[in-house]
Amino acid sequence: MSTQEQASYVAVCPECDVDLQTDEPNEIVAFHRRHYRVTGHDVKLERTELNFEEVTSTDIKGVVRQLEEQYENGVPIGVVAAVMNEHGLTIGETLDKIHEVRMTGGLYEPRDNYLGAF
Amino acid sequence: MTQWNDSQTQEVSSDITEKSNALPAKYFIEPEIFEMEKEKVFSQYWIYAGHANSISEPGQFFTRNVGNRQLIVVRGHDGEIKAFDNVCAHRGSKMVEDTPMTEPEEANRIRCPYHLWTYDLEGNLQSTPKSFEEASLNPDLDDEDVQEFDCKENGLNDVHVDSIGPLVFVNLADDPMPLSDQAGVMKDRLEALPLGEYEHACRIVSEVECNWKVFASNYSECDHCQANHQDWIKGISLDESELEVNDYHWVLHYTHEEDVEDEMRIHDEHEAQFHYLWPNFTVNMYGTADGYGTYIIDPIDTDRFQLIADYYFRDSDLSEEEREFIRTSRQLQEEDFELVERQWDGLKTGALAQAQLGPNEHTVHKFHRLAQDAYNS
Repeated sequence: MSTQEQASYVAVCPECDVDLQTDEPNEIVAFHRRHYRVTGHDVKLERTELNFEEVTSTDIKGVVRQLEEQYENGVPIGVVAAVMNEHGLTIGETLDKIHEVRMTGGLYEPRDNYLGAF
Repeated sequence: MTQWNDSQTQEVSSDITEKSNALPAKYFIEPEIFEMEKEKVFSQYWIYAGHANSISEPGQFFTRNVGNRQLIVVRGHDGEIKAFDNVCAHRGSKMVEDTPMTEPEEANRIRCPYHLWTYDLEGNLQSTPKSFEEASLNPDLDDEDVQEFDCKENGLNDVHVDSIGPLVFVNLADDPMPLSDQAGVMKDRLEALPLGEYEHACRIVSEVECNWKVFASNYSECDHCQANHQDWIKGISLDESELEVNDYHWVLHYTHEEDVEDEMRIHDEHEAQFHYLWPNFTVNMYGTADGYGTYIIDPIDTDRFQLIADYYFRDSDLSEEEREFIRTSRQLQEEDFELVERQWDGLKTGALAQAQLGPNEHTVHKFHRLAQDAYNS
């Protein structure tokens, strides 16, 4: 458990009452995956620090497309999860949606855990 | 003399007499050590997988990662628990999704979604699709020449499974030592208790930023308790406590200053027992609750581990008293996390090449000796 103050991202499992504080958005997703694997609990994002103008799109593909301009070689999946959190989706729900759209060919991973949109 | 320099380090002392060298710091902080541990520790010894009561019906299963291996732990139609690599014998596909012990799934058979090879719960290949029986797309082969897949030879890769009461262990080695040898007297003691009558009630999983061996070492001694677990230590008489060391496990017996009512405890003697089984499992008989707990200290990488804390009570629905008990246990974990993360902050700087253990840290010494023996094997 990190003791960092004011980390950019804070993920919490309310059932376990544990959290992860980090400045690396994809670490939040890795934390969720590890935690879900052993508990089945969906981790919640309690704090997200998004240093860009509000993303107006509410669907996954639109969010990735809008963010792509600000990231080279793909948008970190954790940033997408943070944006979708603002729209009421948990990390697990966002990952499910991403999988769904990837299976239609609408999203791809230029590198692991980074997203691009077609 | 304190060993600040790698050139001064020595093997872990063979006997803890006047001085005991701890496991040199490099074995905690160097990333390649974790890779070695996957092979020489987590692939050689019995590793706790989960609780039999969570898969009480045939077909129920959960998954468990040990080292690099992903396992399916399933109860067969014969009632026996088995474990297989979650890997299809056809072309190596992962077959079932990650499934936690807390939410096991149910299946009559195990089917790989890739080419639909299907296995029974004994791991035998049960069926393949028609495309594996007919060579319609291959002009060099007649249908009658198509090889038949032997059900057993093309079955899932099973791993050794054994148990202590309802506690299920797996071993990835080809020819492991018996679990009874690794667990020793711990197996007899736990099997004398009605552990199987208790149900899983709560799992708390934490990620801690330090090497797994640092937490394991901290768990194994209570010299730090007086200063760091002040709420908990109030009811404990450390002077009358005992640290018992066996071949692969050690027990911290703590005597309560006041008798605890018998109906509040799972075992008879007026003490708490904290069992550590090498390499990464503990059983916690608290003495102040009619239940017990287990910890799995699972490494994530060199710098992090997951503490998987499970609590078992007569009923899986927690009473308010039991919730309060878990809250206290959680407080102890948080206090320990602070301690081990602080230790890790210092240790990973590399400033101290080798620690020295105190005379009451003979349990830690045992842990370090076992690690060294495993590395040297």
